[in-house]
Amino acid sequence: MYRLALNMLFGDRAKLAMLLCGLAFSALLMAQQSSVFFGIMSWTYTPMVNIRAQVWVSDPMVEQVNDAKPLRDTDLGRVRSVDGVAWAAPLHTSFVQARMQDGNFKLITLVGIDADTFAGAPAVLTQGRIEDLRLPDTVIVDEWGAALMGRMGVGPDGKPKNTPLKVGDTFEINDIQARIVGICKVKRAFTGGPFVYTTYDRAKGYTLGARRTLSFMLVEPQKGVTPAELCDRIERATGLKAWTSDTVIWSWGERSLARNTFWWFWTNTGIPFSFGTAVLLGLFVGIAISGQTFYSFVLENLKYFAAIKAMGAGMGVIARMLFVQAFTAGLIGFGLGAGMAQAIGRVMIEKGMPPFVMFPQILWATFALVLGISFVSAVIGIIKVSRVDAASVFRG
Amino acid sequence: MSHQAHTVAVRATGVDMFFGTPENRVVALKQADFEARRGELIMLVGPSGCGKTTLLSVIAGTLTPQAGTVEVFGQRLDGLGQEALTTFRRQNLGFVFQSFNLIPTLTVVENVMVPLLIQGRPFDEAHARALAILDKVGLKGREEGRPNALSGGQQQRVAIARALVHEPPLLICDEPTSALDKDTGAQIMQMVRDLSRSPERCVVVVTHDHRIFRFADRIAEMEDGRISRVVDDPKLLDTTHL
Ligand SMILES: Nc1ncnc2c1ncn2[C@@H]1O[C@H](COP(=O)(O)OP(=O)(O)OP(=O)(O)O)[C@@H](O)[C@H]1O
Ligand SMILES: [Mg+2]
Repeated sequence: MYRLALNMLFGDRAKLAMLLCGLAFSALLMAQQSSVFFGIMSWTYTPMVNIRAQVWVSDPMVEQVNDAKPLRDTDLGRVRSVDGVAWAAPLHTSFVQARMQDGNFKLITLVGIDADTFAGAPAVLTQGRIEDLRLPDTVIVDEWGAALMGRMGVGPDGKPKNTPLKVGDTFEINDIQARIVGICKVKRAFTGGPFVYTTYDRAKGYTLGARRTLSFMLVEPQKGVTPAELCDRIERATGLKAWTSDTVIWSWGERSLARNTFWWFWTNTGIPFSFGTAVLLGLFVGIAISGQTFYSFVLENLKYFAAIKAMGAGMGVIARMLFVQAFTAGLIGFGLGAGMAQAIGRVMIEKGMPPFVMFPQILWATFALVLGISFVSAVIGIIKVSRVDAASVFRG
Repeated sequence: MSHQAHTVAVRATGVDMFFGTPENRVVALKQADFEARRGELIMLVGPSGCGKTTLLSVIAGTLTPQAGTVEVFGQRLDGLGQEALTTFRRQNLGFVFQSFNLIPTLTVVENVMVPLLIQGRPFDEAHARALAILDKVGLKGREEGRPNALSGGQQQRVAIARALVHEPPLLICDEPTSALDKDTGAQIMQMVRDLSRSPERCVVVVTHDHRIFRFADRIAEMEDGRISRVVDDPKLLDTTHL
């Protein structure tokens, strides 16, 4: 009987198409919006991913990674003397204006890293060598930043053409020269970028001797000391705040700076609300279109369901028929919607804009919600059919 | 007495059936008595609104009367719950409706398979039996088409195939020919007669159509919610008001 139930569903192409459209659209909206949401949220803790240190130490008032409250340089010594610290390196980050060769100004994120350990240096350089940062007036720029800071000109075809910065090009930060010796690949961020890497000491110069330049300290635990354990020791000994650096959303601990950053953005910005609204919208659109279409499918077939009832099918069989129909539509609709979301996501990932992170969990959640929509539709249909009287088959 | 117990297929006694609210009550059956035998084709005739369809529904176990007893093949229907009635219908009944009631999104053969699948028969067996009976009603070659592609007479033949595919002991037809022209109606009745003929099977046909009275073994005439008389020969009926 379930095979016939499916044939009944597939026999009405127009209804089926509409049903699938509704389900696919809502699956698409839910999966795509959640993925962009997690993409944007993952951008908030990009520095954690790019800088790759085991333990971060900050001012006690710091709540998240984008909010640096500079420390005293002497704090570095205090942290280094904590038992269990293998080494500690300074890190500077700030937003500064860079003056390009053509006279234009660009806001950049200056990252100053320790010249001895290169702790916090970008993992991948597409051009140049990290050691060249030890030469005077040198910087390393990220790929995307190099394009953003590039020179607009006219190409041979007469169309506007952007020439990205490359090794050897120069620009100025607060009237001090910056010569590019490398191009790196880093993850894009919610705030900040283009990323311009230099040494910690030179960063001080570029910021014109700002009173304090130590934004964070990057700390490596000694063998046998876990990051969380070391955080406790540092906090107890120095009164500073210490963080672990796990960035895996499903498993990060309470001390994770990424996690705290994520939740800071969650509670202090409208991002979750606006994306939550979009996901809810997808859900409601799904319920409205699919529920409505499935209901009209049931109404159209009500007479036949009544006949099947009269012929001796119990409500159990009919309920299962409706579930088979609704869940099959849900399954196909989900497949279409998730497929489309993935296709759109691929384009987005290629362009890097907007950020897109489709966790398997997002797909599972979308799947569950689409099945929920199917379930609601089926239940409405079942109620309708259960109210129709088998005796009605003899009328009209 | 024991002989009678063997021949009686359907017996309804003192059946009352009302519709509507107590203040606004429609009496459909009033102390109706009805009997049908195994092996016969009995017609229920009478003016519109006299209660034919209601009586048929009571016999079919789709309506439960307010009073009276209904016995079909020795089984009492009054007092049975919904589930038991559903099981009863599944095992004992075949239906032919005035408006065919074929599922338009299913193929002809799939429509005919429905009663067997409801009984829980395997798909392949149901398919084979449906094909066989479609052959008997002269629809070989039309099995995979949609019912809407068929003429009214052909659709009613599909309905007959569906009503008999599971070989029910009781076949119930409500106005099976009233949507058909005269000749097609006669062909359909001939087919019902030929295919349903069996010493164990009872066929109850509700009709307005005096042109098909000749296919009946007996005719029960209804008036105001009860059987007024039963005749063996249609010529004895006054058909002017039908
Ligand atoms: N579900 C119902 N609700 C209310 N009244 C009903 C219902 N079914 C039947 N009736 C009424 O009961 C009476 C008998 O109806 P029934 O359908 O049995 O007549 P019928 O002999 O089959 O008529 P027809 O020849 O027009 O089909 C009519 O007055 C009808 O209006
Ligand atoms: Mg009637």
